[in-house]
Amino acid sequence: MDAIDVAAPDSAEAQLAQRIAHAPAGAARDAEAQLYRLLAPRVRRYGQRHLRDDHTADDLMQHVMALAIEKLRSGALDEPRRIVSFVFGACRMTVLDLLRGQRRRDELLRRHADDLPLADLHVAPRLDHERVARCLERLPERERAVLVLSFYEEQPAEAVGHSLGLSAGNVRVIRHRGIDRLRRCVDGGRRAA
Amino acid sequence: MSTAMPTHPSWDALVDYWLGDGDAAASDAIDAHLMQCDACGALVDEVSALSRGVRDAFARGQVPAMLTPAFVDRLKATGRRVREYRVSHNGSIVCSVAPDDELLVSHLSAPLQGVTRLDAVLALSLAPGREQRLHDIPFDAQAGEVVFTPRTAEVHHLPTHDLRVRLIAVDAGGEREIGHYTFHHQAARPA
Repeated sequence: MDAIDVAAPDSAEAQLAQRIAHAPAGAARDAEAQLYRLLAPRVRRYGQRHLRDDHTADDLMQHVMALAIEKLRSGALDEPRRIVSFVFGACRMTVLDLLRGQRRRDELLRRHADDLPLADLHVAPRLDHERVARCLERLPERERAVLVLSFYEEQPAEAVGHSLGLSAGNVRVIRHRGIDRLRRCVDGGRRAA
Repeated sequence: MSTAMPTHPSWDALVDYWLGDGDAAASDAIDAHLMQCDACGALVDEVSALSRGVRDAFARGQVPAMLTPAFVDRLKATGRRVREYRVSHNGSIVCSVAPDDELLVSHLSAPLQGVTRLDAVLALSLAPGREQRLHDIPFDAQAGEVVFTPRTAEVHHLPTHDLRVRLIAVDAGGEREIGHYTFHHQAARPA
């Protein structure tokens, strides 16, 4: 697996990883739970972005975190302080395997998924769709159409532009303006509630 | 070996990232950054929540929008229950909506070649004397049609009524009507 430097060696994640690695296997449950709480949401986010499926992203999160903690417990990681790099690399490899069809979803959960430390995780907010609908309706037609076409299928600007007869650059300008307005409207409604 | 980006990406860059715009190097750099930055992760969660909110609202028929024929085809291909009406140029049609229809979609045939900006004016018989003007609506001139979905969730509850739509081409020389269409909507149940 490629080495990818993505975090300082004295980060909280690095310190927790070293505590787990230096304790007898499974004895540092508190550090494992803290590490899980820090890294699992990042892994899930990576999965949501690259797999476009919440359930598979959850499975990726369980798999990668189980793998990371297993490696730390068993002393198989040469440099525990580089745990974030290891997790990032594991995300990339697993997603590539999934996209190539070389790994099945249920296979992700085969390893020690039940043995993970349980921790409350931050979950991305779910918005009130009626409020979103009201805010969308306040947008100019063109912005609303671009946002619907962009977000319903999570399509890049080029694909949306092709279907609307617009350039990708034009779609991005309209999209940025539209999502800024939508964000402010939804945020305003949320604060008022 | 790659390294995370030294500064936080902008909101716009995170929207682009989420939707798959930008090159592979930019996407990799943001991936790496998000592995260590929870503040930016929270912004990505916000983009994701807005994306899901738009998807949910549209899927529930709560959002009127101009669409494209290809998008409607993909909706149907994924199993959405879409009821479509095609109205000829300056034509009219009797229409309805069934309880299990998720989206109503209208295709208005129109001579759009050479049109640079298009407005639509809607008049509902339930609100006599009132018109709603939709400015600068998106359209594909080559397809020769305007495709739109109303707020389908609301149409389910409307009584029998007529909807008249006029398409107006706007340019430096002024504006001209290029088509009109009438929908005679029959309520599924008397209201």
